[in-house]
Amino acid sequence: MSRERDLFAAFIEFADTFVADYDVVEFLHRLAERCVELINASEVGIMLADREGVLHYVASSSELMRVIELVELQHDEGPCLDAYRTGLAVHSESTGDAIARWPRVARHARDLGFQAMAALPMRLRSEVIGALNVFSTTPEPLSSRDRQLAQALADIATIGILQERALSDERIVTTQLEGALQSRILIEQAKGIVAEHNHVSIDDAFKLLRGYARNHNRLLGNTAYDVIEGTLAAEALTAPARSGGT
Amino acid sequence: MTVPRLELEQFALVVEARREQDPASSLCLACVDVLGVSGAGLVLMSGGRSVDLVGVSDRVSETVEQMEYTFGEGPCVSACRTKVPVFDADLADDAVVRWPEFRRGALGAGVRAAFGFPLLVNRICIGALNLYQDRAGALTEDQVADALVVAQFATRSVIGWQADAPPGTVAWQLAQTPGHGVEVHQATGRISVQAGVSLDDALVLLRAYSFSHDRPIGEIAADVAAGRLRLD
Repeated sequence: MSRERDLFAAFIEFADTFVADYDVVEFLHRLAERCVELINASEVGIMLADREGVLHYVASSSELMRVIELVELQHDEGPCLDAYRTGLAVHSESTGDAIARWPRVARHARDLGFQAMAALPMRLRSEVIGALNVFSTTPEPLSSRDRQLAQALADIATIGILQERALSDERIVTTQLEGALQSRILIEQAKGIVAEHNHVSIDDAFKLLRGYARNHNRLLGNTAYDVIEGTLAAEALTAPARSGGT
Repeated sequence: MTVPRLELEQFALVVEARREQDPASSLCLACVDVLGVSGAGLVLMSGGRSVDLVGVSDRVSETVEQMEYTFGEGPCVSACRTKVPVFDADLADDAVVRWPEFRRGALGAGVRAAFGFPLLVNRICIGALNLYQDRAGALTEDQVADALVVAQFATRSVIGWQADAPPGTVAWQLAQTPGHGVEVHQATGRISVQAGVSLDDALVLLRAYSFSHDRPIGEIAADVAAGRLRLD
C-alpha cells in the first residue's frame, strides 16, 4: 500500500532529523507538510508553548493556516488551545458543532472554506508542550484512524523536541558550571596575590577586591582576572578608589 | 533471565535514605552501600584538573582524594582525560607504571584498589566518581554495570544542583567539603608573588612541598594562605 510506504518514509525521515543538524521550526514545517499528505487533512498547523506556558504559532502547511492559528491565539479559543490545555485530542463532529464550541474561530475558519476541525496534543506523559491543528475543507470529521496517525506523528515530534531541549539545557548548565568554577578559582588566587602584595590577611584582601569592584562598577570575577593578568596592580587596591581619579 | 540491573530511581531512594550529611556525601555513602566498595569520592573537574572535592564517604577516601589533587594524577584525572572508566585492581602491583605517586600515597592510606568513572555531559567530562577498595581485586561485571548507573545518577545530580544555582555561582551542594580547594587557590596566589613565578608554577611548588614533606596539600595550603608558611 502506497500510504503505508509513505508513512514508513515519514517516520524514517523524522528519526533521521534527530541525529542530523536539528532545527525545531524547520522540522515542524516538514511535519505539518507530511501530515497533510498522509491524512485526510487540508491544512495542518503547529503551536508550541514557551516556558511560561504561553502558546505560540510555530509552523503550518500554508500561509492560510498560519492566519487561522493566529486567530485562535488572538481570540484565546479553538481546538489547538483546548488540546494543549486538556492534554487530550479534540475534534468537531460538524461545522455547527465547531461553531458552538469555538464561535469566533470556527466562523472565521468557515469563511475561509474549512468545515472540519481537530487538534492533537503534543504530549509526553504529563508534559504537554504544544498541539497540532488539523483542518479540512470537507464536512466529514477526521476519521479515528487519521486521528491516531496524526497523534503518532505528533508523538515523535514531541519526543524529538523534548530530547533536544534536555540536551541544550545540559549544555548550558555545563558551561555555566565551568565558568563559575573558573571564576571562583580566579577570585581565590587573586585574594592570595593581593594578600601577599599588600601584607594583609586573605579576608582583608577579599574586602579590597570587593571594594574595588564595587567602586568601579565591575564584576568581582573580572577584577580578579585583571589582578592575575597584571593589568590591575595589586597595590592599587590599598586606597579606597573613586571613579574620576585622585 | 538476566539479573535485574540497578535502576536510577532505585539508587535515588538509597541516596534519600542515606541523607545524613551533605547531598554529595550522601551520594557517596549510598554508592558504598549499593556497590559494596570500601569508599567513594565525587570530584569536579575543570580544564583537565580536579578542582573540587564535593563529596566523600569517609576519611580515608578524603585523604586519597587529596592525594590525587596533590599529585595531579590518579583514577579521576585519567577517567576524565580518556572519558572511559579506569580500573586499577591492585595498587601494589609493581608491573603497573602509571600514577606512581598516587599509588604510593593511596597504599599508605590503606587503599588497595582504585577505580574512576567519568561524569560525562555530551562528551564533556565535568567530574569523576572514584571508588576505593581496601583489598586487591577487580570489580565484578555487575559492580561495573551498577557503577555506570551511579555515575549517570551523579552526573544528573550535579547538573540538577547547578541548574538551580544563582548565575555565576557554584551550587551550594557542590561546595560542601571545606578546606579543600579554596585554600589551595589562595596559597597559589600568595606563592606566585613570594617566588615570583606564574600561578601554574606556584601550584607545582605547593604540590612539591606537600609531597616532599609528606603532608596533605590542604594543610600546607592553609598554612600558606594564613601567612604561617612561605614558599619563596
